[in-house]
Amino acid sequence: MKPENEKYSKVLNILRNSRPLLDSTQDIEREVINKIARAQQNKLSFSEAVDFLFGWVYIGWVRRSLITASVCLIFVFVFQQGIILKRIDMLSRQTIVTDKENLLTPATEIERLLTEYRNTGRRFPSKTTTITEREMQELLEYVNELKIKYKELENIIEGDPELKKLIEKKLIDNNRIKTNL
Amino acid sequence: MIDIKLIEECRGGNFNNFRKLVELTSPFAYSVAFRMLSDEDQAKDVVQETMVTIWQKLKKIKTAEVYKTWIYRIVVNKCYDEMRKRKRNPEFGADEKTWGVISNRISEEPSAALENKETSKIISLLTEKLSPKQKAVFILSDLEEMSNDEISEITGLSKSAVKSNLHYARKNISEKVEKFL
Repeated sequence: MKPENEKYSKVLNILRNSRPLLDSTQDIEREVINKIARAQQNKLSFSEAVDFLFGWVYIGWVRRSLITASVCLIFVFVFQQGIILKRIDMLSRQTIVTDKENLLTPATEIERLLTEYRNTGRRFPSKTTTITEREMQELLEYVNELKIKYKELENIIEGDPELKKLIEKKLIDNNRIKTNL
Repeated sequence: MIDIKLIEECRGGNFNNFRKLVELTSPFAYSVAFRMLSDEDQAKDVVQETMVTIWQKLKKIKTAEVYKTWIYRIVVNKCYDEMRKRKRNPEFGADEKTWGVISNRISEEPSAALENKETSKIISLLTEKLSPKQKAVFILSDLEEMSNDEISEITGLSKSAVKSNLHYARKNISEKVEKFL
């Protein structure tokens, strides 16, 4: 045996004979039991969830990349869901015109507001006007009643040309603008 | 090393027997962890974590016969993790005091056991230039006296890789021994 190998062997023998001694296995035992108890309490901890999801990947950087990619995808998904919900909410606020008469341009401001109110089925658009829901319903009923009566009056006038001419003449005399009955 | 019957009972979920298993296994795990990390507290932490992992995954091992290699594999992997966590220590040259301790031991009482602190200093000094794999192979082969087959199973390296790592580690250490002793 070469002298350097002899020295090497002696060093190795010293280290082999000096097996590290564990002063107390009881401390380790106690700690292990505590850790197991804690682990059982928090069975679904983050690291376990990660292990469960990505435990099959053994290469560290691949595992980290997968976790990062997953987190990014979750963020994108949540962001898109937010946008979709916002758009749905916006669409539900928009008016869907199904009634023929609503296509007609409202003549006055009150008619415009009432039409808007009826179509949207929501709050009265003006922020300064505060009326109750009941009052609004009553107002709408009166407006409808008025419209019906106006229609009836129109029919009566249309049915009697002489009466029509007379009313038109009276309106012109009084400088009224609306003459095309 | 450990009674197979005891391992089988632990596999069945017997917690009292697991305490016994901890008591029997900890010194072996501690020996490897301490030699790998050269730090008592870190080695104890690794042993604790290893025992917790054993309890959690004991049912997954196919037979009790593979227990020994399995436990060493867990310890070595946890040591790798610890070594990775550590910041790279600044290189320290030949420590006169430590080399003096080795020199005295060789000339005086080669069979006498060293204290844990001395052992950790000597191993750190001898293996400071080795990679974690080379260090693991050296410790398992020359200090824990395991066969190349066992080391291959524990470290996941091929037999030729074990041999080449061991060759490099031995060469590096014997050069140091030759230089400083």
